[in-house]
Amino acid sequence: MSSTRTGIQRIVPSLAYADAPAAITFLCKAFGFTETFRYPMPDGRVGHAELSYEGNMIALASVFEGFGETPLKLPATSCTLWCYVDDVDAHRDRALEAGATITSDMVEDHGLRFYRASDPEGHRWVFAKELA
Amino acid sequence: MKPTPDGWPRISSCLFYEDPKRAIAWLCKVFGFELRLLVETGAGGVAHSELVYGDGLIMVGTNDSEHWKSPRAAGGCTQSLMLIVDDVEAHLAHAKANGAEIYRELATSDYGDEYWSDRTYGALDCEGHRWWFTQRMKTGNPEWSKVRNKHDRHG
Repeated sequence: MSSTRTGIQRIVPSLAYADAPAAITFLCKAFGFTETFRYPMPDGRVGHAELSYEGNMIALASVFEGFGETPLKLPATSCTLWCYVDDVDAHRDRALEAGATITSDMVEDHGLRFYRASDPEGHRWVFAKELA
Repeated sequence: MKPTPDGWPRISSCLFYEDPKRAIAWLCKVFGFELRLLVETGAGGVAHSELVYGDGLIMVGTNDSEHWKSPRAAGGCTQSLMLIVDDVEAHLAHAKANGAEIYRELATSDYGDEYWSDRTYGALDCEGHRWWFTQRMKTGNPEWSKVRNKHDRHG
């Protein structure tokens, strides 16, 4: 199989947000992502945005027909995103400070130290560090 | 930053299904994933699973919490997954022949010389998760990483 280009992994999750600009701000501040691309629409929505975490990407966009729905409008999310970080305790502190909801505090299991959080629209995340 | 654990991308998605065992079989047969690890519960359910496609990875999990539901059970999907394939036409033909619901017909989007060109189709899986399968047809300007930060280009 051919390799993917630098800066994009094989599978890229793309999340739907009611307020995509606010989500971009939050994900950068709370979870440590960096905004690398934004395609703004004339009506203020975001057609497509890319955020990087240490060179790995997620995408997001404003809710639109045929793309996805914000968890705010649904009884549950259909996925959880897993992200490996170096210092998971510092990551949790930063997320908490920035207003993330910690849905499950730090545990150590299966060789990982990890916590679960949700962002302001209810997308669910796991941040994990591999135990030495 | 330290490397990720062996065999793990930095970021990966866990997808929830009402019938994860059927979903695993479906994703392997229709979309071409390979089951790398299956941990069953005592009752024969899925406690954890890892499916790979090349160097990509997803986890398939069970709909066992009020917070996590399959799109079919929740009434909507909160993400789309884009997967880079080598031959999108062959991937589409195989998925279609095996019953995937195509919600976006195959089309090429060329974003101009500074950006890239993708040939993509969209399909729903057996419980309504949304997927885009993409073949990169052309890469953009090698300076794309700088260009991409010019938000005002489309403003």
